[in-house]
Amino acid sequence: MMSRARLLTIARKEVRHIFRDWQTLVVVLIMPVMMMFLYGYALNADAKEIPVMIEMPSPAPETRQVADKIDASSLFAVVGTIPAAADPAELFRLHGIKALFRFPAGFARDVRRPGGARVQVLVDGSDPNLGTIIRNAAEPMLLGATLQVLGVQQPKVLDMRTLILYNPEQRSALFFVPGLMAVILLMISALLTSVAIAREKELGTMGQLLVSPLRPLEIIVGKIIPYIFLAAIDGFLILAVGRLAFGVRIAGNPWFLAVCSLVYIFTALAIGLLISTIAKRQQHAMFMAIGATMMPTVLLSGFIFPVVSMPLPLQILSRIIPATYFLEIVRGIILKGVGLRELWTPLAVLLGEGLALTGLAIAKFKVKL
Amino acid sequence: MEYSIRTEQLTKRFGAFTAVDHIDVAVEKGEIFGFLGANGAGKTTAIRMLCGLLNPTSGQGSVAGFDILKETARIRTRIGYMSQKFSLYPDLSVEENLRLYGGLYGLSRKDLDLRIREMGDFLGLRDLLKRVTGSLPWGWQQRLSLACANLHSPEILFLDEPTGSVDPVSRRNFWDLIHRLSAQGTTIFITSHYMDEVEYCHRLSIMIDGRIAAMGSPRDLKREHGCASIHEMFLKLMEHKPLSEPKSLLKPNPSFESKPAAGGTPS
Repeated sequence: MMSRARLLTIARKEVRHIFRDWQTLVVVLIMPVMMMFLYGYALNADAKEIPVMIEMPSPAPETRQVADKIDASSLFAVVGTIPAAADPAELFRLHGIKALFRFPAGFARDVRRPGGARVQVLVDGSDPNLGTIIRNAAEPMLLGATLQVLGVQQPKVLDMRTLILYNPEQRSALFFVPGLMAVILLMISALLTSVAIAREKELGTMGQLLVSPLRPLEIIVGKIIPYIFLAAIDGFLILAVGRLAFGVRIAGNPWFLAVCSLVYIFTALAIGLLISTIAKRQQHAMFMAIGATMMPTVLLSGFIFPVVSMPLPLQILSRIIPATYFLEIVRGIILKGVGLRELWTPLAVLLGEGLALTGLAIAKFKVKL
Repeated sequence: MEYSIRTEQLTKRFGAFTAVDHIDVAVEKGEIFGFLGANGAGKTTAIRMLCGLLNPTSGQGSVAGFDILKETARIRTRIGYMSQKFSLYPDLSVEENLRLYGGLYGLSRKDLDLRIREMGDFLGLRDLLKRVTGSLPWGWQQRLSLACANLHSPEILFLDEPTGSVDPVSRRNFWDLIHRLSAQGTTIFITSHYMDEVEYCHRLSIMIDGRIAAMGSPRDLKREHGCASIHEMFLKLMEHKPLSEPKSLLKPNPSFESKPAAGGTPS
């Protein structure tokens, strides 16, 4: 049996450590808020005023009008118009342009011919995201501009209307708030507990605790209790900032979200415990915790890169890490407003993983040094 | 005779290496028992088995009347342990450390207040209670370690090289405290490799390569081996070690080194 008095003694001691080391505490509380604003603004930056150049050997009125339409769009800014580009690569190098629109000499004549005119667009592919944006935007824009200049009505053969569910405005806040919940709760829980336990080993105080009447389980549970609160505070902080600064509302039941978050924190703590059974020093624990939690969560959970587009081995890995399931749960509750009926599978997986990892950690935690 | 600590053929092996090799020790209540040996002789391993931190490979033992194999939980409430490394929390104050250890041993608030006052007076820590432990000089940290280990009035105190890297004056004071605790009936089991200070022990054993090479009161041991000091006796015992031992921590003795084969008797 665990003694409540001894548990509280250890938990109180741990709280003292947390408050004495106030720098770490500040980092733990400020980091999530900072990350939210960073993600919030970095992800919101839509591409605008991309510098481009236009090659136009014969400035016929039609050609000029189409070129003006390019400049008038918010996506592109024409920084120069030249009659002939002898060495297009040099233009990219010297002027820092991201695309070069090359109109042929007979553009104005060709557009009225059955075969149509040919326009070449050179795109800087060194930034793949930007390259994709330019490629996707260029054709419809040029086609629309040309038709308008010619005064031609496009024949209507297809009327496609896209309706986006759950996040109709495609706001990035709705995407990064769940993602940051998954990253930060996991990292805080796993990192802080594994470092706290490794610290006791490094100081030699673990040996001192183990010769006392304390049971190993009491040491573990007592030490973990304050970090559960700390992680919960961070979770609350993320949701509060998401609501107040980015207008993210929880569509589903907030209490259900809290329960799911606690299950996730429990799993994360188990990872931290497991790390602490291996790591002998605080630094080992820190590197292992970051490596085991932060990186897979950011890269593999589907937070940033969609899981379906990953190669099979990574998809399998993604199916192993707890963050994938938590992300599914959080997105479900915040965006879709669904509950236990829809989310019991990921929740059960999360709980199962937590229990298995805890069992493993306790078995590995050396009762006798 | 009732013994505070008793072992029979206690042995611990780590793989092929035998750290503690069939030792028999019997320590009486209130005795200061010195447990000597070079680094790596097996002292710490033996202490850890007695405290229930390590399971013996074979043999048996009892501490405070309880079996070290089966009754470790009972033993833990009756012993105090001070490790060779400073093992308190440097970020907590002296009083917070004391209260923490009192709490772990289940002392009531009233008892704890009383014991903190007693220990504070006894060890001269009273004016330092609010100080952050990490800012105290070494000698005071050692005293605090002793206070924490002794807070719950244990029957037996295990002190694992408590005077390592402490200046001679602090060391002398420390031994005064130990003698006073012994006079109050606390059994002291202390390891050390300072041969001068172990003369203060009531009885001592000398451990070499996991075995007990000699045991008795300092005076008897010196007479038996015809040595003027324990220091001299220890060196003499070490010389009898087989030459094959690779990690002798002593300076090589020229006469010993010139011997061609292992196991020869030194001149």
